[in-house]
Amino acid sequence: MTDAKPLLEARQVFKGFFGNPVLKGVDIALLPGRVHALLGENGAGKSTLINLLSGALQPDSGAIVVDGKPVGRFSPAAARAAGIAVVQQELSLTADLSIAENIGLGAFPRRFGLIDYAALHRGVREVCDMVGLTEPLDMPVADLALGRRQMVEIAKALYRKPRVLILDEPTSSLSAHEAGILARLIETLRDRGTALLYISHRLNEVQALCSHVTVLKDGGVTADQSLSGIDGEGLVRLMVGRETGDLFPPRAVSSPGALRISVEGFSAGLVRDIGFSARAGEIVGIGGLVGQGQEDLLLGLYGAIPARAAKAEVSGKPGLPAHVGAANAAGLVYVPADRKHEGLVLPHSIASNLILPSLGRLARGGLRDRAAETNLIADLARRLTIKGDVARPVQALSGGNQQKVALAKWLPLDPSVLLLNDPTRGVDIETKREIYHMLRAFAAEGRLIVIVSSDTPELVHISDRVVVLREGRVAAQLSGTAITEEAIVGAAMGVNTQGVAA
Amino acid sequence: MSAVSSPNWLYGAIQRRRNRSLGGLYLVVAAFLILYAVLFPGILSVGGFSKFTQNWFPLALVTMAQALLMLNGGITLAIGPLVSLGAVIAATTMGTALGVPGGFLAVAVTGLAIGAVIGVIVAHLRLPAIIVTLAGSFIITGVALILLPRPGGFIPGWLSNTLAGHTPVAFLLLVVVLVLWKAFLATPLGLGIYAAGDNPVGAFRSGVPVERVKIVAFALSGLLAALAGLFVAAQTGSGDPIIGAPFTLNSIAAAVLGGVGFLGGKGTMRGAICGSLLLSVMINVMFFLGFPPVAQYVAQGLIIVGAVAVPELLAQWRARR
Repeated sequence: MTDAKPLLEARQVFKGFFGNPVLKGVDIALLPGRVHALLGENGAGKSTLINLLSGALQPDSGAIVVDGKPVGRFSPAAARAAGIAVVQQELSLTADLSIAENIGLGAFPRRFGLIDYAALHRGVREVCDMVGLTEPLDMPVADLALGRRQMVEIAKALYRKPRVLILDEPTSSLSAHEAGILARLIETLRDRGTALLYISHRLNEVQALCSHVTVLKDGGVTADQSLSGIDGEGLVRLMVGRETGDLFPPRAVSSPGALRISVEGFSAGLVRDIGFSARAGEIVGIGGLVGQGQEDLLLGLYGAIPARAAKAEVSGKPGLPAHVGAANAAGLVYVPADRKHEGLVLPHSIASNLILPSLGRLARGGLRDRAAETNLIADLARRLTIKGDVARPVQALSGGNQQKVALAKWLPLDPSVLLLNDPTRGVDIETKREIYHMLRAFAAEGRLIVIVSSDTPELVHISDRVVVLREGRVAAQLSGTAITEEAIVGAAMGVNTQGVAA
Repeated sequence: MSAVSSPNWLYGAIQRRRNRSLGGLYLVVAAFLILYAVLFPGILSVGGFSKFTQNWFPLALVTMAQALLMLNGGITLAIGPLVSLGAVIAATTMGTALGVPGGFLAVAVTGLAIGAVIGVIVAHLRLPAIIVTLAGSFIITGVALILLPRPGGFIPGWLSNTLAGHTPVAFLLLVVVLVLWKAFLATPLGLGIYAAGDNPVGAFRSGVPVERVKIVAFALSGLLAALAGLFVAAQTGSGDPIIGAPFTLNSIAAAVLGGVGFLGGKGTMRGAICGSLLLSVMINVMFFLGFPPVAQYVAQGLIIVGAVAVPELLAQWRARR
C-alpha cells in the first residue's frame, strides 16, 4: 500500500455544534485495500467525522478530498456518486418495505421510469448471498430481528458497490456467527481493493481485522499509525489521558456509612441480573460505553422503569421503589441527562423550576404559601450560587447554570440518595468545578451519590468507587488506586487490564 | 430460495405480502357488502351499483389524498376546502369559454399548485403539516366563498349524466386512479413516500430526496381532493363553496379504518380504500336500518375507535401470552 493513492480523505477538518468544537483539525486518509480502524472514547468526535466523510454534514473548515480532489458541497447523494457507502449505527431501514426494496432504496434500477424489480432481484440476491441473508427477499424488514436488520443494512451498503465502505459499530447487534460472516466479508472487500473504515469498541475485532488505526481524543488525532505491534492496552493508552489541573476537589478520606442501596439479581431495561450496593457518604461512579445500561440502572432504582430484583433494600426498606413518588418519599432523587426535556420546564422561570418538587410540601391549607416559597428560592439560589434575577426563564441560562437549577430543585427534599445522569454534559469548566465541589460536600453530609458519566477523567477523580457496565452486566468494580482511566476504558471495551480489583 | 422463478416474481411476492394483516378488514368489508346487498338488493343491478359507487367515489378519492400524506408521516386538514374549491372552480369555469376541458384543467392545476405550495412550506420551512394545512383550509375556504358566495354556477348536463348517471363510469375512473397509483408506487419516488414517512433520516442518508418526495405527496393529495370536488359538482349539477366540509374528517376516519398509521410509513393504500368503502357502506346501512342521524354519528365514532383499539388490544393480548 506504499504508493496507493487515498480514495477519501479529510484534511484539517473543523466542526462545532452551537459553539462547542467537536472536531479540531482532524486528518484521515482511507487507502484502497486497507482496513482502517477509527477509535476513540464516547464523544471523541467519531460520529461527526463519519458524517463529514459521508456528506451528511459539512465541515466548518478544512476539506473532504475524493481521489485527491477537494469537493465543494458534499451531500449524501454526492458521496454515493463517489462510491462512498456507510453502515450507520442507527439503521436507515423502512419497517414496512421488503428486504429487497430497502436494499435498493435510493439506488433503484429503473426501466421506463419504474423500478425494475427483476434487476433489483438479481442485484439484491447477490449482496444477500454475500452477507448470508437467506430470508425471502419480499419479507418486510419489520419481521426481522435486530441482528438480521443490521445485515440488511450491510447488504444495502454493498448493493451500492462502494469503493469506500464505512462501518460504524457494525457488530454491536450481531451474533458471533453473523460477526464471523462480516469479518470474512471485510477481508474479501479489502482484497478486492475497497477502502474500509471500521469503527468498533471491540478491540479484539479491531486487532483481527484492521491494519491501520486513527485514534481520536477530544476532537483531535492522537495517533495515526500502523496497528502492527500494538496490543489492546496500547490502544487504550492512546485513547485516554488528559490534563485535569485543579478541576477536581481533593478526595476525602472516605468512611462509608450505612447501607443505602443494596440489590442482587437486579434487572431493568438493558441491565441484566447485576448486584449493586452503595453506602451513605459515598460517590459511586457508573462507567461504560454509551448505552450499556447505565441510565436504566438509575431509572430502575428510581422506580421510573419496570425493574426486578432477587433481593433489594433501598434506604432501609425492603424492595425497590414501585414508582417515582415512592422513590422520592424514600429520599431518592434523579437528575436526568437530558435536562432540557426531562429535567426542567424551560420556558418557566428559574424560581418556579426550583420550587416544583416542593410545591405540595410548602402549601398550607391547599393553597400556595408565597412567603415560604420566596424564602426557599432565595435560600437555594444562594446555596447554588445561581446569580441574577430568578424570574428569568430557565432557558436564558447557560447549560451549566441550567444543570445547577435541575440539581438544586431537589435539595429541599433533603435527599439521602442522589442519582445523577451525566450531570456535567455540555457544562462549562467553571460550573463543572462548582458541581464537583458540591457533590463532594453532599457526600460529606452523609448523602449517597450515584453518578453516571461518559467522561472517564471525571469518574476517576470524583468517585470513591467505579462500577463499569458492559452489555448490561458489571464488567468491573474499581476502588481506591485501582480507579484509573486505563482500567475503566479497558473494562468498558472488554480488555483485561491488571489492577481490576474490588 | 435463490432461484429467480420469473422476472415478476419479486414484485408479485411483495404485493401479496401487503395483503397480510388486511385479511380481517377484507372480511369485515365483505360482510358489510353482503348485508347491504340483502337490505338493498338494488345494488346488484347496473343502476344500483352505479349509484352506490358514485356515493363512494369522492370519499375514496379524498381518502387516497389523506392516506398518501399519512403514509408520508404527515396529515392534511385542507381536504374538505379543496373539495369545495374544486367544485366551485368546475362550476364557474365550465360555463365559460374554457368549456369542460378547460374546467378540468383549471381544477387539476389548482389542486396540484395548492398542494405543492403547502408541501413546500411544510418541507422547506419545516413547519408541522397539521398547522400549515389548518391555516390553508381557512384560506382555501375563503377563496371558494369569494369565487362563488352562494351555491350556483353551471355544470353541463351531459357531464353530470356521464359521471353520475346510470352507468358505472365513476367505478371505472376509480379503477383507473388505482392503476395509476400502483404505477406511481412502482417508481423510486413512490416508494420514497413510505421510506421518508417511516424513517426520514435513514431515507435521506440512503439518497431519497426526502423534501421533494414530501412536496410531490402534497401536490398529488391536492390534485385528488380537487378532482373529488369536480365530481361532487357534477353529481349535484352546481358548485357549493362549503360542500366539502365533512370530507376532511371522513378522510381521516376512512384511512384510520383502513389501518393507516398516524406516524408515517405504516399502512397500505389498498387498506385505506377498503376503509373508505367500509365507511361508505356503514353510513348507507345505518341509513337503511333507520338509524336517526344523531345515532349514526355516535355509531360511526364508536366503530372507528373500535377499529383502532381492537388490533391494538389483540397485539397486547398476544404479547402477554
